Amino acid sequence: MTEKTAPGPIAPPSRQSLDVDIACVGFGPATAGFLTTLSRRLADASRPPLPSLASPGLPLQVVCYERADDAGFGVSGVVTRARAIRAAFPDLDPAQIPMAAPVREEKVLYLVDPVGASRRSVTLRAADRTLRAFHGVDHDSFELPWTPEFLHKTEGIVFSIGQLMQWMAGQVMAQGTVQIWPGTPVAEALIEGQAVRGVRLLDQGVDRQGRPGAGYLPGMDVHAALTVVADGPVGAVGRQLDQTLGMPGRNARREWAVGMKLVVDLPEDTPLSAGTVLHTFGFPEPEIFGFLYVHPDRVASVGIFVPSWFDSPTRTSYRYLQHYVQHPALWRYLQSARLRSWGAKSLLESGRRGEPFLVGDGFARIGEGSGSTNVLTSSGVDEAFATGVQLGEGVIELLEAQRPFTRPNLETAYVTRRRQSWVEQEGRVSERARDGFQRGVVTGLVGMALSGLTGGRASLGHEPPHPADQVGSVETFYAGKIPAAEVARIRADCEKRGVPLHDALMDRAGWPPIPMDGQVLVSQQDALLLGGKVQAPPGYADHVVFLDPELCRACGKRVCVEICSAEAIRPGDAGTPAFDREKCVHCGACLWSCPTRLSGTERVNLEFRAGAGGLHSAEN
Amino acid sequence: MPAYQILVLGSIVPDPLQTLEPLTTPQGPGLKNEAMLPHVLDPWAAHALYEAASLVAKGAASKVTLVALGPKAKLQQVMMAVGQKVPFELLALDGPASGFTDAHEVSARLSEAVARLPGLDRSALLLFGGWESASRGAGVTLQMVGEQLGIYDQFFGVDELTVEPDGALRILERVEGGKHQVSRCAGPPAVLGWATGNLPEPRNNPQVGMANMRALLPALQKASPTPAGIGGVRFESVVVPRVTRETRIVKDQSVDEIARELVEWIRKD
Amino acid sequence: MDTVLLLTPAEQDGTLPRAAREALSAARAAGGPVAVGLFGASTGAATGQLAGAGLARIFCAEDEALAEPRYGTDAAAATALCRASGATVIVAPALSRVARIAAGVAHRLGGRIDTHVTQLASDGGLSVSRWYYRQRIEARLTRAQRPWVLLVDPGAFPAASFGSGAAPGVERVPVELGPELKRSTVLGQRAPTSGEQTIRPDAKLLFVAGAGWTKKQADGQPHAERASELILGFLRASGASLGTSKSLTDQAGEGQKVLEFMTHLNQVGQTGSTPRHPRGLSTCCHGEEPHVVGWRFIRERRVVNLDPACGWARGKADVLYVADAFAVMEKVNALLAAAKPEG
Repeated sequence: MTEKTAPGPIAPPSRQSLDVDIACVGFGPATAGFLTTLSRRLADASRPPLPSLASPGLPLQVVCYERADDAGFGVSGVVTRARAIRAAFPDLDPAQIPMAAPVREEKVLYLVDPVGASRRSVTLRAADRTLRAFHGVDHDSFELPWTPEFLHKTEGIVFSIGQLMQWMAGQVMAQGTVQIWPGTPVAEALIEGQAVRGVRLLDQGVDRQGRPGAGYLPGMDVHAALTVVADGPVGAVGRQLDQTLGMPGRNARREWAVGMKLVVDLPEDTPLSAGTVLHTFGFPEPEIFGFLYVHPDRVASVGIFVPSWFDSPTRTSYRYLQHYVQHPALWRYLQSARLRSWGAKSLLESGRRGEPFLVGDGFARIGEGSGSTNVLTSSGVDEAFATGVQLGEGVIELLEAQRPFTRPNLETAYVTRRRQSWVEQEGRVSERARDGFQRGVVTGLVGMALSGLTGGRASLGHEPPHPADQVGSVETFYAGKIPAAEVARIRADCEKRGVPLHDALMDRAGWPPIPMDGQVLVSQQDALLLGGKVQAPPGYADHVVFLDPELCRACGKRVCVEICSAEAIRPGDAGTPAFDREKCVHCGACLWSCPTRLSGTERVNLEFRAGAGGLHSAEN
Repeated sequence: MPAYQILVLGSIVPDPLQTLEPLTTPQGPGLKNEAMLPHVLDPWAAHALYEAASLVAKGAASKVTLVALGPKAKLQQVMMAVGQKVPFELLALDGPASGFTDAHEVSARLSEAVARLPGLDRSALLLFGGWESASRGAGVTLQMVGEQLGIYDQFFGVDELTVEPDGALRILERVEGGKHQVSRCAGPPAVLGWATGNLPEPRNNPQVGMANMRALLPALQKASPTPAGIGGVRFESVVVPRVTRETRIVKDQSVDEIARELVEWIRKD
Repeated sequence: MDTVLLLTPAEQDGTLPRAAREALSAARAAGGPVAVGLFGASTGAATGQLAGAGLARIFCAEDEALAEPRYGTDAAAATALCRASGATVIVAPALSRVARIAAGVAHRLGGRIDTHVTQLASDGGLSVSRWYYRQRIEARLTRAQRPWVLLVDPGAFPAASFGSGAAPGVERVPVELGPELKRSTVLGQRAPTSGEQTIRPDAKLLFVAGAGWTKKQADGQPHAERASELILGFLRASGASLGTSKSLTDQAGEGQKVLEFMTHLNQVGQTGSTPRHPRGLSTCCHGEEPHVVGWRFIRERRVVNLDPACGWARGKADVLYVADAFAVMEKVNALLAAAKPEG
């Protein structure tokens, strides 16, 4: 719809404010747990009502602001054991929720490289040869005969998180006691000293640089006695709190991955049945893990994780995903499939080591952004939901006792619950499970097994460095495959054409061109539009900002351009990347890929702020 | 200035970028995975709503009520987005929003519901809506509701409504060739099927949202079951046509050659 | 068997609208004897034009009050014509004047209506085709109820051919047009304020300008003024109708320095229009699906785009010229201008 300049007011509108009791930032599994718990209590007519302090005479005013244009657009997943979810919904029948299926079969596949272009260590290449010679491989893959217990999703459910969130949001809203507002990004928390007094919403009606334009409406200030911060691993408010208040002890967010996936319609004659769960490793690169989950009605989710310890500066997800789906072990199922949806999101894989201050005066943190993800079992949804329930129960206790939301009270009511729960216990076991990957893939896998089997007592490897310091050089990554002189030539050519390096490098390294079929192998922009339905409303500022253009010019690597899931960050003028907010899916991979640290801090030269728009598919 | 009562008839449609595929249900054709598709308020009906709210803001109308027939759960989802835009009340009817339902059935249900509205004053009534939906896309439902309510001043493809000092309505309707017809209507009752209008999309406003929710949520909970079928239509086929051409990709021709080829093609009869 | 009425207003000058000749082809395809119903302030010229059309009967409703398009009076006249004819199928061109009243008329007759009809077939009963969901799904359907009103879009059917022979005698239908039907008056028409008339529904060619026109070119600079010159120059030289993609329309809305003669009325596809032209030339446009939906009724398609892997390349266009649109259009305009003295 076009914007026209309406006859404006004489003076620019001033910032308005409103008062609520509880404001939540972000609607994902964690807030779903929190609001399910709280809304039921508020709707329970047999219990004494909980009055509002912000609006005396009214019931408790609880609002949730979600950035994405609908609840269920910004998420992706999953196969989960769903323990906390089922505790909250004891009659949960997967058949009620679109795309949900109970887990029937789980397999782990090691994928041999049929292309020959991946960067395998000597160990892995030997393993490939041995497997081929002595065991034989079926469709270039080897099914592990035994997988450790901690990888099994016992009594699990395969979900589309988007559909699960829409279902939960609907349940919550139908109670009539809390409100969920999509399309409402929160710019920042209102911080006074060490306390949080509410949130400030994003300015609307501004140009890309944030200057007021037609229909300017400054973001409202929402004052709240309690701000629940649940905006995920790359959420702006969570990171603002980390920067302002610091992190406990030596905790830091150092380990990340970007997960990118397709949702496809499988062919009519597919042998795969609902509830099949495949996890893979070994292809397209040893560092890249993959998955295939089968939903009901011949729908499947297939995707990969590109981690921050994959030190190629031209690491990219989409092209690797396209090679992944063509691997014989997967292509046998996907060959005549059709794309339905596409999406990408960052995962915080620091576990407990990435845990921030969970509470303070006026705020509490839940969900993936609070370090609840279990990096050993690779599960986060149920853990996030559980932390939301824990906070909900704690908040109800405080409200009933009419005690304020101070740090000590929230510690007692929420943090204690959390520390005593299985989320904490299992989180401790997994705390160092992934450290081995800092030394290599094989070490990493062995380290995970070791951690899992010893209940976390033993592990391999060391704590990860800051991801900015981990990014290697193109020459080193492709040493032995592409001579340095050729790398230089490719660089110059890509510079002239204004395109990223990864395609040219991968082509030269032996990766075959993708045979586009318009069905499941489509261009990246087609995946965005036909799959993700990516769009952004006008009138908002750019939310990816390059702080110091000089630093960008000096950066030789431009990993942000390479890793961008949506080609929203592209080579720009004079060395500073260009950003197209209409394409961004808010995955946040750029945030942890920027190799230029601002000296002395954990921060990097790229700022990833709150923004509107992104994926418009609830099937992820 | 007279205080109009504005009713906006509008339902929900799949978000414009969604991929649609038909399938057959016992009730007739439908959309595959319709319940999973993200929906929005029908675009031209949304324009009508914003224009109505603008009249309320100017004091020309006392209130605006959106009358929406659609599946309750989907209506609730869409209200979470639209409810932040402008203040309005809601009359929700729980039924199908499919484009394959028969417009005659739907218009009958809508006019019954409108006629039952307490305090309805025909002499102050402005019936707004989109001139066509993005689902059925026929542009007939609003007209028939107007007929059923006995309103014989109807305008379609409206881009502008101005209230004159004597209470008359000056209306611009889209006609052929990108032009507008300018008409003057003595006053309500009138039917206006809106095109795009001139107003920018209102910003998301949490205060508006919170105020709206107090009425919107109860209205959704009270939504009465309102079935509507395909009427007397027999669908012989419902398909997404697959038209794939053999694209000839020309890479090595000079600009001059391309230009000549194009001019020849343009000039062909 | 159905009896068919071609229902149409007369033009301001009393003549038959061109869209009515197209609707006559549709009416003939309905398979029964065709009569025509004309309404307007004066219909004499139109009845004269209908000689040799093979019509069974001609009905006219004439009144001063029908000089201008208006719901109340037009609906009454049209209903009277339909009743007088007793037709079971009423076919009408979807001119704005007719679309305004057709559903109301169907309701008064106790009949049913389908609009945007693209095909009619009458073997084994009358069936019609129409599009749903903004031209994404096509359906063929039939109805048993009568009368059945069908609106056909301009450009969907060829203009009917006429033979020789006289027209049947005109049967005048009286209409009651009381004051309650005249609460509205038409003050006139208003041309678009952009000054340059760029939407030409009758043009043989649709020219679509995509967002690439305002992006940075090979020299690293945008050239919006040059783009404007080239686009407007082409429109003037070729008589083409101008369409735009949503992204370019949105840019105009955000106040960027773009092509000022474009408005959302030019938008093709997505929430814009689905125009009908025999040919379409797309420039600087990626050819993604939501936009291309608007091209549904463009028969021949050619594209100029620097990206050989754009959406057009995969079966959405007949020819893709991988070239710089600025350079190509400059040459095209020069060739069109050079040839002008002949035409």
